[in-house]
Amino acid sequence: MTDVAIRTEHLTKVYGGRVIAVNDLTLDVPVGAVYGLLGPNGAGKTTTIRLLLGLQRPTAGWAEVMGHRCGVQATAVRQAIGYLPTNPSFPGHLRPFEYLDLLGKICRVPGDERRRRAADLLRAVELLGATNQRISTFSTGMRTRLGIAASLLHNPTVLIWDEPTAGLDPAARRFTLDLIADQAGKRTVILATHILSDIDQICDHVGVVHEGRMIFSGSMREVRQRLRRDSFHLELDGPVETIHRLAAQLPASGGLATDVRDDRVLIVRIQDERNRAGALAEVLQHVAASDVSLRSIGAGQGDTESAYLQLLQEDRAYGFRRFDFQTPAVADANAGDHGA
Amino acid sequence: MPTLAITGHELRALAKSWLVRLWLIAAALATFFTTAGNWTTMESAVLIATLQIPFLVFPWFLVVIMLGISPVTGVRLDALADGILSRPVTRHEFLLAAWLARLVTVLAVYLCVSVPAILLITYARRPVPADDLSLYGVLVTLGVVSLVLMLLVSLAFCAGTLLRQPLLAAVVLMLIWFPLSLVLHTFSLEEFSPISLNQALPTVLQTPWRTADVAAEPGPRAEDLESLARQTSQFLSILSGGATPAREPQGSFLERGDYDDFSVPHIVLGYGIPAVAALGLSLLVFSRRDL
Repeated sequence: MTDVAIRTEHLTKVYGGRVIAVNDLTLDVPVGAVYGLLGPNGAGKTTTIRLLLGLQRPTAGWAEVMGHRCGVQATAVRQAIGYLPTNPSFPGHLRPFEYLDLLGKICRVPGDERRRRAADLLRAVELLGATNQRISTFSTGMRTRLGIAASLLHNPTVLIWDEPTAGLDPAARRFTLDLIADQAGKRTVILATHILSDIDQICDHVGVVHEGRMIFSGSMREVRQRLRRDSFHLELDGPVETIHRLAAQLPASGGLATDVRDDRVLIVRIQDERNRAGALAEVLQHVAASDVSLRSIGAGQGDTESAYLQLLQEDRAYGFRRFDFQTPAVADANAGDHGA
Repeated sequence: MPTLAITGHELRALAKSWLVRLWLIAAALATFFTTAGNWTTMESAVLIATLQIPFLVFPWFLVVIMLGISPVTGVRLDALADGILSRPVTRHEFLLAAWLARLVTVLAVYLCVSVPAILLITYARRPVPADDLSLYGVLVTLGVVSLVLMLLVSLAFCAGTLLRQPLLAAVVLMLIWFPLSLVLHTFSLEEFSPISLNQALPTVLQTPWRTADVAAEPGPRAEDLESLARQTSQFLSILSGGATPAREPQGSFLERGDYDDFSVPHIVLGYGIPAVAALGLSLLVFSRRDL
């Protein structure tokens, strides 16, 4: 039994010899992980998923799901995957049970089990009340819930959900996130999204894709460890001029950089040479001495968001160094030298 | 099981489409009026052959083309990729199921309209001289027309898969199919031309069961070569705009001996091989496409 649910090696997709959608993407997703595939719009998340599903053929590299090589005819891969596309579309003339029954037949689920699972899933996604409606009359939230049921119908070992919370109202979004959390530990879940709070709440692993390339892949703990813990913010209450004056005074004491957001949040960045506790004590002394009151204090606007933005910034800063000069032959030779 | 499930799903979707429903009604009405209009004048074989004209020549080939355009075109493709092709089903299974559903729909409409009409014409008492309509001839007629419809469905399916745009595929196929039929008809190649095939049907309908086809002569006969030369000359005359060579006076249609060399195996191969080739090309192209 493999301990890696999804593996890609140098996966590359170039459309028409012009548009590079996925760029040398190497990825390992452990079995049982809730893996957030994070990246801005157009980063290559959906293309990566379509390569895994065999809907597209890679230009270079390869991918495996549960030990099966991905490809156009790879039904074993698709049998292992439950896929929820972004804004799923359905045959509108069918009713939900008919649709799930059809999918069950396509997924080779035996008759009794198929009908039982379809009914159970419709109940689980709270669509029992809509079983007599045609799918064409469904709202976005209902469609997403039906898509979730469809992705679970054949009891897959891997779930791949592409932006499942896109276009959902808060209640539907909460429902979807709870459902993903419920699947954690039971299956491997890949959640492709650009919504950081979703990743923050439910994922235990994360991969950051930028311009088609995986710039970070690891556990959530690792991604937070990467965050430079050299900034914090203070939400202040008081005259705006005082807050701005405070921001101007603080750098004078050395080793600090400040910024004011929304005229009430003071962001303080600590330079490398300063002691964090000392710097924080100094800032608080300044606040106490002024006529503003401290409402709250925190370490940045969400750790994951900061880490994510930092990763993107670092990737851009690498510039041409992002190119891997080592050809496989050279790398192998080096590995041989090290081994010797 | 996936192929059957998709076939059933596609069949239900086609049965609910307005195009199929309107076609069925229109075809039934056209058959009824043609039969009623010629009830007292046409012999059974000629009347049955006349009923096949809309299916073989015009206008139903337009509907068949529209129905045959493959589902892997236009905006439907995204929904299919997300909904069905992301499931454990191969593209070949999906395409075969979609093709089969279209073929079954087209043949169901054809047979639903034609079989009752043929039964009525065959068994009703009419004020026309009885002819030698044979069961074998009727079955062969239904078979070869079905074969032509299968070719049309396959070509439309292939064109849709290749060109990706349903409207473009339909226009291209219409622009090719009709002129091609006319050109082939010039050579009386009923193996390839539905127009010639339709003219051969009265003979076919009166042909009894026989096994003489297997005893065909190995080499070309002198009359065949003479006929070919005459047809080529006629075709070149049409192309160059010159006068059409005068034809010898001929007897009535069934006395002339036309189409007495009608060969079912030739017809099956003539229409079957291109249909299979079109389907194979569709499978090949679609299996290499990014969705």
